[in-house]
Amino acid sequence: MEYSNERQYNIIGYRKLWFFISGTLIAISVAVVALWGLKLGIDFTGGSLVEIEFKDNRPVVKDVESAVPEQLGKANIAPLGDRGMALRLRSLSEDEHQQLLASLKEKLGKDKDDDYLNESRFTSIGPTIGAELQQKAVWAIAIVLLAIILYIAWAFRKVSRPVPSWQYGVAAVMALFHDVFIPVGIFAALGHFMGVEIDTLFITALLTVLGFSVHDTIVVFDRIRENLLKPAEQFAIVVNKSVNETLARSINTSLATLLVLITTLIFGGETIRYFVLTLILGIIFGTYSSIFIASPLLVSANRWTQKRREAKER
Amino acid sequence: MLFVWKIILFVLQWIGWLVLTVWSIFLWLWQKLRGTFQTTRGRVRWALVSVIILALLSGLSVYPNYYNQLASAANGQISRLSDWPAPSYLNWLKPVSRLRLPEYPEKPFRLGLDLVGGTQLLYDADTSKIPLSDRVSALEGVRDVIERRVNAFGVAEPLVQTDKTGDQWRVLVELAGVKDVNEAIKQIGETPLLEFKEQNEAPTVSVLTDEQKKEIVESEKKAKKTAEDLLKRLNRGEDFAELAKTYSEDPGSKDAGGDLGWAKKGMFVPEFDRALFEELKVGERAKQPVRTQFGYHIIEKLEERQDDKGELEIQARHILIAAKSERDFQPPQNPEDQWKNTALSGKQLKRASVVFDEQTQQPQVSLEFNDEGSKLFEEITSRNVDKMVGIFLDKQPISLPKVQQAITGGRAVITGTFTVQEAKLLAQRLNAGALPVPINLVSQQTVGASLGEIAIQRSLRAGLYGFLLVAIFMILYYRLPGIIAVVALLMYAAFVLAIFKLWPVTLTLAGIAGFILSLGMAVDANILIFERLKEELRLGKSLPQAMQAGFERAWTSIRDSNVSSLITCVILSWFGTSVVKGFALTLAIGIVVSMFSAITVTRTFLRVIIRERQQSRLWLYGVRRKSILV
Repeated sequence: MEYSNERQYNIIGYRKLWFFISGTLIAISVAVVALWGLKLGIDFTGGSLVEIEFKDNRPVVKDVESAVPEQLGKANIAPLGDRGMALRLRSLSEDEHQQLLASLKEKLGKDKDDDYLNESRFTSIGPTIGAELQQKAVWAIAIVLLAIILYIAWAFRKVSRPVPSWQYGVAAVMALFHDVFIPVGIFAALGHFMGVEIDTLFITALLTVLGFSVHDTIVVFDRIRENLLKPAEQFAIVVNKSVNETLARSINTSLATLLVLITTLIFGGETIRYFVLTLILGIIFGTYSSIFIASPLLVSANRWTQKRREAKER
Repeated sequence: MLFVWKIILFVLQWIGWLVLTVWSIFLWLWQKLRGTFQTTRGRVRWALVSVIILALLSGLSVYPNYYNQLASAANGQISRLSDWPAPSYLNWLKPVSRLRLPEYPEKPFRLGLDLVGGTQLLYDADTSKIPLSDRVSALEGVRDVIERRVNAFGVAEPLVQTDKTGDQWRVLVELAGVKDVNEAIKQIGETPLLEFKEQNEAPTVSVLTDEQKKEIVESEKKAKKTAEDLLKRLNRGEDFAELAKTYSEDPGSKDAGGDLGWAKKGMFVPEFDRALFEELKVGERAKQPVRTQFGYHIIEKLEERQDDKGELEIQARHILIAAKSERDFQPPQNPEDQWKNTALSGKQLKRASVVFDEQTQQPQVSLEFNDEGSKLFEEITSRNVDKMVGIFLDKQPISLPKVQQAITGGRAVITGTFTVQEAKLLAQRLNAGALPVPINLVSQQTVGASLGEIAIQRSLRAGLYGFLLVAIFMILYYRLPGIIAVVALLMYAAFVLAIFKLWPVTLTLAGIAGFILSLGMAVDANILIFERLKEELRLGKSLPQAMQAGFERAWTSIRDSNVSSLITCVILSWFGTSVVKGFALTLAIGIVVSMFSAITVTRTFLRVIIRERQQSRLWLYGVRRKSILV
């Protein structure tokens, strides 16, 4: 596995191909979200989640359903793990919660041991809290994106030729949009087919991916910045050279991070499974975008300004 | 002796920590500032020693078990020294056998709710009735009261925070390891409402239906006739007492043959009073049945006398034929109507404590009022002499003492039928006071303890396997520097975990995920440096030169990329529920420490192992001879 210095991959030259691939993926993601929507979890919609562990032979879903008191509304019930059962209901008050537990104990654990069923987790979130969190999540993502543009513009303030420093920021953020859109699209599909919900942890994972992906992008930009100081070559060639020089690092870093994340996905348990999956998806697309999207975008921007300038001069 | 040693070592450990941290940072800064690489081997060695000691101390505080076992074994051996026969001129050495190696204090990680079980409660505070300027202090009051209530049922390190979202004030309560969440919620949310009430005398009135009015008229007629008939029978000479026993509808006097005993003026209803004290003579019977609110009375005045103070007392007997009146159709009075509120409540309470009755040893709750409360209590007791004053807790009467005389001094005792435990809890709750504003539970997250244990085991295993995979990858790909990176990573893990323990950072499941993720990111700094090192080697630089250039050129990348991740962490902790905050904090600590460990640890180790003669063995650094350009 040696990425030789003598051979350079022509990444910039094929940039329209990468743009096309990413554009298609983003289009599909947007379509999927528009078509099926995102399945929001109770963090955002309000509601309650009750997880019950049964000591042995778990009852069938139908029995559990009939044990839920009628006045608590419709319960969405699904098996969980080997011996568990997850009940999703509207937001419950503490009294209603106790009522539910009493009813479950009475109807399901009638002639069983006292500890036949145990509540392992209970979450109830009021609707206003959910709405607030939704708003906060959107704000958080917007602020992260803005902060990153500003930071990159500042960090690259000394490199203003041939591309102004704010364009580095914009290119990085466009790559970030790509990194956010595609996992969101994948989760919309997962939500549609497998009932996977979007919760606070998903947003956390997305924000982390933003951080990680821009981290990747900055390493490449940093190399471009360094190479631009050397005897002048064409911008596209400098960028291509820089991308190639940092290729091994980008791939290896992502690989190391993915190794830890994949072990966490396999051994880390139910509760953070989709959180880790989001991170994995985000890091794969983040690495892809910092190599194939962010830097080629810089070249495109440069070409575009050049053409406009030439048109003006004519 | 042992104790003193423990203190000394404890202090030394902290000084060591501080000095070494400052020293390493200083070294690192100094080298950065000097910019050029002109090391003497001595300086490198010093850096190496500090880094290793720092790592050992970190490792020790993360996992002190082995050291402590070793220490206690050694202590056993030392204490046996005194058994050895020693010549007397060696007596001055004796105290040596009393020396002990100190144990390293074991401090557990602080685990979050999702790992140890417990509950997180979010309350809306209703501040609508409080002026804007007082809201902050009202919320502080809420926090203090909740803190006191929570402390009453003994939870380790409870967290009570106020928070404002938009115009809405909230209170966040986290109780780790609490067993009975339902009970906890009750204790937090319910104000122990202590009220003092006096008896209500004004009856409530409701409008009668026509049917009921008719019934009253009929019953009136019937009663009047019965009474008149009885009077005729009496006048015919029938026995008063006999007739009273048979017909009287006054349960209080019926069985005594209608005898009411001695009574003073004013004790009976006005009509009855007038008949006895103004119209009748002793031994006389009223000519007509007397109508009162109860019905028709046949009254006989038996005797008359003066009491000690010269007041007139009369003995009389009567037969009551009850007639229905409006009163009978009023709804039965419920306890709340029987009692009316006074201005005195738990608000004017200064202190509550548990006392024991001197005779019965029954636990009681003693109350002490403030000045306002004392005054009110005096007023209430003085206008209710010989009447009952109700003490109500949460709308339930817990004690209904009869007032003997006005009470000054502002002290009262609740004698309920308490157990000692109940009395204590009540006193505690009363002392905690009332909430300045009402609160309302809007969100609850409860995790059972068993779930947490599984989660810890799983994430530890995941972390370990992840670490092993990364180690294998790094060594295979980067060879000698790879080994260094693995050692640096181990030290990195020790540093971070030690910080988690000593800070202490509350670890949640997401927090552990953040740490595991930061392992991957910590490797990144190493990868950046090594890739750069390889490049410089390919350009034909000598090993020390290549290393120097590698570090310097990689630094800007490491700095800029990590700053952007740190920005994200800051925003995450703002976005955060506590789960997200935990993740952001561990990730941020991880990023900062990884920058430190890559620059200090990796660099120091590389400097120590780099030798000129390795120039001919560049495969150690993963560089092929063929790929060298110059």
